[in-house]
Amino acid sequence: MEKKIKFEEKMKNLESIINDLENGEIDLDESIDKYTKAMALVKECDSELKSVEEQVSKLVTESGEIKDFEIDE
Amino acid sequence: MNDKYLTVTALTRYLKYKIESDSNLRTVYLKGEISNFKAHSTGHFYFSIKDENSIIKAIMFKSNASKLNFIPTEGMKVLVTGSISVYPQGGTYQIYVEDLIEDGVGNLYIAFEKLKEKLSKEGLFDKKYKKQIPKIPEKIGIVTAPTGAAVKDIISTIRRRFPYAETYLFPALVQGENAHLDIIKKVSQAESYNLDVLIVGRGGGSFEDMNCFNNEELARLIFSLNTPVISAVGHEIDYTIIDFVADLRAPTPTGAAEMAVPNVADVIAGINQYKIRLQESIKKKVKMNSLKLDALKNSFVIKNPMLMYNVKTQNLDNLIENLNKAMLNKIDKTKLRLNEIKNNYVLKNPDLLYKKHIDKLNNIIEKLELLNPISMLKKGYSLTYINDKVISSISDVKENDEINVRLSDGYINAKVEKVGDLDGKKD
Repeated sequence: MEKKIKFEEKMKNLESIINDLENGEIDLDESIDKYTKAMALVKECDSELKSVEEQVSKLVTESGEIKDFEIDE
Repeated sequence: MNDKYLTVTALTRYLKYKIESDSNLRTVYLKGEISNFKAHSTGHFYFSIKDENSIIKAIMFKSNASKLNFIPTEGMKVLVTGSISVYPQGGTYQIYVEDLIEDGVGNLYIAFEKLKEKLSKEGLFDKKYKKQIPKIPEKIGIVTAPTGAAVKDIISTIRRRFPYAETYLFPALVQGENAHLDIIKKVSQAESYNLDVLIVGRGGGSFEDMNCFNNEELARLIFSLNTPVISAVGHEIDYTIIDFVADLRAPTPTGAAEMAVPNVADVIAGINQYKIRLQESIKKKVKMNSLKLDALKNSFVIKNPMLMYNVKTQNLDNLIENLNKAMLNKIDKTKLRLNEIKNNYVLKNPDLLYKKHIDKLNNIIEKLELLNPISMLKKGYSLTYINDKVISSISDVKENDEINVRLSDGYINAKVEKVGDLDGKKD
């Protein structure tokens, strides 16, 4: 959980792959590799965002215990 | 009979006259609490000042109000300077406020300004130290009170905008004498939770209420954190020390949540944008490549393959010719060099080299000969000794001394008969 790639990192990766593709210096084989990788990232980011369940806020006590924290809205 | 009845205006004018002519009411120092405060769009302030039992209306005109360095708020305890008069249209007497200061916070203000200046001089507020707030944070820490509007505003705003982010509340006292200690404890605890961003703040209140955020130790702690910090204390107009030292200052707790997270719809739109760009760029790539292929297929060479062979053959001929030329050239040059060496003058007259050395040697011998003292004697000079020491002055000898004269081919023993200087004077 702690070691998974951060969302923002993925978005940055995407941005840089797309820039590479748009600059057009790379050959077709490599382009297709990059395209496939980027598309996978797009799907991953998209579904990560859309599959978020109702988050419960956490409260961290002084001793480091983590409890659910509800606000009444 | 109507004569004894006054008009309202007449009575009001009389009261106004009575009040304004009383020198005690011309300059009044009043203390109380602000109530019903309204800042009018004209810049004038309308409010009341009250204590437990009484209330008086107050007006502060723009010319005076604009000089205040704080905005009065409901319930604020103030010290007022002004004059009393009557407002006929309202049927009220009121205080025309010239100056307003917060009661009891004067010292806090001074301490605040001093600390702000000190930390500013040390560079703690410098832009270069501000950390970047992540665009898409996943773990957000919040140090504030677990009850009240601030925590609700922050959490509900984050959930509404970006439910993907997790929120961790580190509950802290945000008011009272020891609140700063609790805030310090919770901020340093939060630092160890690998948070993407930390929001520190509380809702609105008096300057005194918020004073726990004007703490030097807290400011230095926030400065030293690795976690980016957004400060969110009170309202837009409230400034505390941590607002200056934080990486980003939010006007309110809700504002802090808005600055901390993006809107999920915007992020999704961004991802869609990426998708479109990806598809466009790959389409373009494929199209470019097929155009290139077409161009190749139609190229002259592909259509006339023999041409390629002809060109290569011609190249080969050229290369062979160049190679031949180069070889001949090399041979000519080498021949030339050989002749040069053969015709060298010294090589042809080797004794020249030898004679030069003999001449030089003779020359040296001659010079040495000239320097030999014996050669001087050959010319008729002599050396005179006494007791094996050369005599160079008449003071070296006296009459009857035995002396020895050295000539080129031998010596003479002699006796001094007389000693005299060049003028003929005798010693």
